[in-house]
Amino acid sequence: MMSRSPRQLLAALCLIALVVLRAEPRLMRLPFGGREKLTRGFAGYADRTWPEYPRFLQGVMTHTTPGDRVAIVVPAMRWDGGYSYAYYRASYFLPGRIVLPLVDSQDRMHPENFQAATCVAAWRSNFPQARSRVAWSGEGGVLLRR
Amino acid sequence: MAGTLIAILTLTVLGLPLALLLDRSARGPLLLGSSFLDGSGAVFLLLLLLSILHIPWTLLSVAVAALLFWVAAWAGLRVRDARAPAPPGLSPQPRFHWTDLATLITLAGYGIYATAASLWEWDFWAIWALKARVFLEHGGIDWRFLESPWNSFAHPDYPLLLPLNFDFIALVSGSWSDRWLGFFFIALGLALLLIARSLVAAESTPFVAGLMTFALTTIAVSRYVGLSEGAMIAFGGAAVLFLRRAMLLEEPAAWRHGAVMLGFAANCKNEGLALLVAVGLAMLLSEPRRWRRLFRLWPAIALALPWLLLRATHVLATDIAGGSVSDRLLSRMHIAPQILTFLSARLDEPGFWVAILAAVLIAPAALRRRESFVLLATAIQLLFYIGSYFATPHDIRWHVATSWSRLTGQVAVPITYSAIIMLADLVFARKNAPHAEARSEQP
Repeated sequence: MMSRSPRQLLAALCLIALVVLRAEPRLMRLPFGGREKLTRGFAGYADRTWPEYPRFLQGVMTHTTPGDRVAIVVPAMRWDGGYSYAYYRASYFLPGRIVLPLVDSQDRMHPENFQAATCVAAWRSNFPQARSRVAWSGEGGVLLRR
Repeated sequence: MAGTLIAILTLTVLGLPLALLLDRSARGPLLLGSSFLDGSGAVFLLLLLLSILHIPWTLLSVAVAALLFWVAAWAGLRVRDARAPAPPGLSPQPRFHWTDLATLITLAGYGIYATAASLWEWDFWAIWALKARVFLEHGGIDWRFLESPWNSFAHPDYPLLLPLNFDFIALVSGSWSDRWLGFFFIALGLALLLIARSLVAAESTPFVAGLMTFALTTIAVSRYVGLSEGAMIAFGGAAVLFLRRAMLLEEPAAWRHGAVMLGFAANCKNEGLALLVAVGLAMLLSEPRRWRRLFRLWPAIALALPWLLLRATHVLATDIAGGSVSDRLLSRMHIAPQILTFLSARLDEPGFWVAILAAVLIAPAALRRRESFVLLATAIQLLFYIGSYFATPHDIRWHVATSWSRLTGQVAVPITYSAIIMLADLVFARKNAPHAEARSEQP
């Protein structure tokens, strides 16, 4: 048997450690079961706080046209309290529309965006409907055209 | 699902003549992996060009542009091959080894993970896919969207290789769907593994090549499915590995592959631009007397320039460069120990990085010298990342918590490759390495 120097032995140990540390037992188990659990976990992950909100946004998408300026009203009107999610998610679900936030990251209100909006998408909010007409309602919200 | 798979196949076919133009001797896994990555990069350039020319993106316009590109690339191949016969292939074809079974099982597991549901990551739908959807609806890059101050959350300055690839998939599929985009990330990781496997097969035994591929699998694929990390790992990793080979063997095809991949990496993320600089510095520092080799990176710079010019023209600000960077850097110098301690505490998989460090320390000086390019490129890139935390306008703890594991993951493939090849050389003492052309003498 070939003799090994201490450095070679250390190298062998290090090589084994590197290969073992790079193994991912969870990934290696997946082909043998667990896909359903994973799917359940990830399927609603993005909208885990407000699972119905994407369906409302899809309705807004259907009832608006490219170029519409849409202001977003949700129960959480604080940036880190849920408004950032609502605004970003609306931007994703309403491509071609100009989504306008009514609150910024410093929690400052932006009435000028409300003035500039042609539509207000209000979800789970008692938003006053004066001087607007209901373009569509459903999925827990209302789309007002001004 | 079918649309995404057809799009991936189309990208591979599109990239085939480009990969052969760069390396006429490429065959097998190397050709397959390079073709997909080159096709992905080519589609990005085609969509960018159509947008600049104000030609709306439709399946027809993109198909015509892709066909023209493909025919031109094949014509270029024919002309070149008529002038001179192809040189013999430098890379032996990788052979299947029993260790590959573990790699295949891991890849299958990743495939299940990446396609378990519609992509779920916040940055996927708030940055990368958001832009793709907006551009798809617009029929090209929507500069109004990028320039709007209300959309700064989507990081308008980020390069667009990934969103434009999403758009290509949507055009081929007939509509937008985020359900099966995970396949694209499997393809990115697989492409990098095919390239790495071919490169290691050229300098080691099938057993070491199998071990290497298995060890690289979980870092070649990104756990952040839907983010540009997957693309950055694939293009950046392939670039550094090709350039390593080029530095060691002075192989023209490896230079070309490496430079092109580096250019595409610069179009994946801003970190890709940093990698371009890190690679240049590493080349210079590892062999200062051969500084002229830097000119071989011209394709990378040429590929990075269009987006840099466009984003400068449209004044798309980078958040990290906002305000006074120097003031922030200076003001945080006195808390450098705390920042570094926090970074080490938040290091993802510390055992792995300790093993990498141990490998570098255990290796004889000659092996370290041989791998100096990869070691330096990785170290410099990590320094850039750490520097960005000193310069960030955001809360440092938040910034580290949300990005450090992704950033270290971006540089893991090349350094792991170098670490394993050094250790394998030492353990097996070269005697079972049939293709040792990349090696220098060990003491």
